[in-house]
Amino acid sequence: MVSLRHLYLLPTLWAAFASGTSGGCLAGLVAGFLQAPLVLPGIERSGLDPGALDRLVTLATPLASGWVVGRLRDQSRARAVRLGALLEIQRELAREEPLYRRLEDVAERTRTALGALRVGLVLGTGDSPAVASAPVGAGLDNRSAAAWTLRGGGAVTSRDLASDPRFQLEEPPGPAPRPALVLPLESGAGAVGALALEWRGDLTAATRAAAHEIAMHLALGIENARLTLRQRRFAVELEDKVAAATRRLLELDRAKSEFLSVVSHELRTPLTALQGFSELLLSRTVPPEQARRFIGHIHSEAERLGRIVTELLDLSRIEAGRPEALRREPVDMGDMVERNLEIFAQSNPRHRFRWRPGENLPPIVADRDALDRMLTNLLSNAVKYAPRGGDVTVSAGPAPGPDRMMEISVEDQGVGIPAEALPRIFDKYVRVPDPETIGARGLGLGLAVVKALAEAHGGWVEVESRAGVGSRFRVLMPL
Amino acid sequence: MPLLSAPFDVERPSARASLLRPLVAVAVAMLIVVAAGRWLEQGGGALAGLGRSAQGAGVHGGFIALGWVIALGGRWGWQRPALRLAAALLAAFALSRLGAWGSAAFALLPLMLLWEGRRHPVLRRIGFVAPERPRALLLGVGAGAFLGSHLLVSASQTLGYAVRMPDADAYIAAVAYDVGANALSAEWLFRGALFSHWWRRWGFWAAAVASTSMGLTRYLLDPWLPPTVEVGAGAVFYLAALGLCASALRAWSGSLLPGYLASLVFFAAYRMFVVW
Repeated sequence: MVSLRHLYLLPTLWAAFASGTSGGCLAGLVAGFLQAPLVLPGIERSGLDPGALDRLVTLATPLASGWVVGRLRDQSRARAVRLGALLEIQRELAREEPLYRRLEDVAERTRTALGALRVGLVLGTGDSPAVASAPVGAGLDNRSAAAWTLRGGGAVTSRDLASDPRFQLEEPPGPAPRPALVLPLESGAGAVGALALEWRGDLTAATRAAAHEIAMHLALGIENARLTLRQRRFAVELEDKVAAATRRLLELDRAKSEFLSVVSHELRTPLTALQGFSELLLSRTVPPEQARRFIGHIHSEAERLGRIVTELLDLSRIEAGRPEALRREPVDMGDMVERNLEIFAQSNPRHRFRWRPGENLPPIVADRDALDRMLTNLLSNAVKYAPRGGDVTVSAGPAPGPDRMMEISVEDQGVGIPAEALPRIFDKYVRVPDPETIGARGLGLGLAVVKALAEAHGGWVEVESRAGVGSRFRVLMPL
Repeated sequence: MPLLSAPFDVERPSARASLLRPLVAVAVAMLIVVAAGRWLEQGGGALAGLGRSAQGAGVHGGFIALGWVIALGGRWGWQRPALRLAAALLAAFALSRLGAWGSAAFALLPLMLLWEGRRHPVLRRIGFVAPERPRALLLGVGAGAFLGSHLLVSASQTLGYAVRMPDADAYIAAVAYDVGANALSAEWLFRGALFSHWWRRWGFWAAAVASTSMGLTRYLLDPWLPPTVEVGAGAVFYLAALGLCASALRAWSGSLLPGYLASLVFFAAYRMFVVW
């Protein structure tokens, strides 16, 4: 009997391992009760002798063992569940989906880990925080405890929601208490949200500590997920920017190559003419009329060469970021425009040049040479990109508005500029390809020079254009 | 989810009515009825039986009234049901004096309590609902049977008290008393009202120990308990075990019914225990 009584320990330990503290205690209690009728009569007969004490200890052993083993089992199991849940939560938060889509899963895992009845997770402290709950379907009221915590009110603890006067519940009280916790999710960067937990029955200190631990991990996990998301977004933006810069560099490289080829062609053509006509004059005896014509050709090609060199000098100045050395003086726009239109009209008979001066056109204080170059470049473009001819209208006059500005516009009826090319039209080496103007010569510098010169004067240049209809360039210069 | 949706006001005062006044009123009424019953009993004659009935009805009706006051949180509405149940108890005690089958009137008390409680959904908070887990009923019967049989075995083995089937009429009367008064009022007050009330404030173990201690005190003060040391010790041990067991069943199942069944079965066994 003495040895058999220890067998009571076996079912007690089995119950403790299987069901934890409650099972272990219950089995230990039953074991003790079953042994009592065998132990107590002996005590009744012979009093508390050493044998009786031994039996009393044996009587209490199943209960004590059941309690200790069951408690250890409960604690280790709770810890394992909590660690598992924390890992799962971290994994959920590390996924690449948007954060709000993962919150429902996180709430469910938190509920399982803490054995809670309901779990609510609110993220963000702004006007429209993201809300998730397990079971799903809860919404956030601005007057609720979770909203109060989000506003910085701190943690909320309630032993029983139904009897807590701070909560205005509509549902009737249940048969068991409903303890609840609302914990702020605080990371190093401040509050990132709130975790609301509701249980049924008792809320033990261990569960409360576990809830705090999970809230801390959640806050850190959410903060990490946000940082990761921001990093990913930043990386994507960086990739886009690098790709755009690479594209731009390739374009520049191509444009430079094209520019070099155009420059060499543009330089070679007048040089060839100069060389040819001068050789003819040197090697042969030509009649005076023919010689005069040859010298005229040499002169115009030399002028063209001069223009190219000027543009190249302008380019080098623009690239070096050196401002134009301006010699400002009052310039009569009427004279300058009329002279240029006359020159262009002689060499471009298919175009009709019109000049529309504003009333009482005031003189403009600017560098005469720079202004002339700007006008020449704009007129040259108007002619170049309207190969079929048409009207080229130049107008000038005070610009509307409080600033004292002069507006000079050059309008053509050419091929126009596609909308997608407009933002780049004032960049260097940019030439908008068009089948009609494929043969037009140029370095792609004219508009860049116009822009640089206008800005050097404290003005700016604008463009309005429609493909197939024509373009209008407006230069605004301070008076 | 209330934490996300229910209005929350951190400074909102409690709207709970004071429990003290109605509890004192019920206690005073109990004392008056019991004193009147004792006075009638001492007078002897035909009124002695009525006096004893008044004492029983006063005590158990008072317990039920106290439970009702606590369950309703001191709000109005407990008086009429408590008075009707006390009157029914008085009638049942009086009828039980006419014979064993008169005690069957006690069986109407649980039904009457069900009928009275149906209009008060707030009684859910004390476990006046069907159990969430039906197997808790079987567990309650099993726990009562285990404790009851253990009592009989250990009492006969240890103390040498006889265990025998008593006179059928007396046994039926005693069990009927347990059904309609003893177990009913104890579960209603100690597990229903007190345990539920304290569980919400102090947690399970504190509430279970406190309510069981209160129940134990009530039995130790019962003049019908045999006044011997071993019976007193046994009562403390078994009633404490029964109280804790009923508290656990109440918490686990959400209902008073499993604990009530455990008490009924335990007392049914106890009634076979002949002390003198």
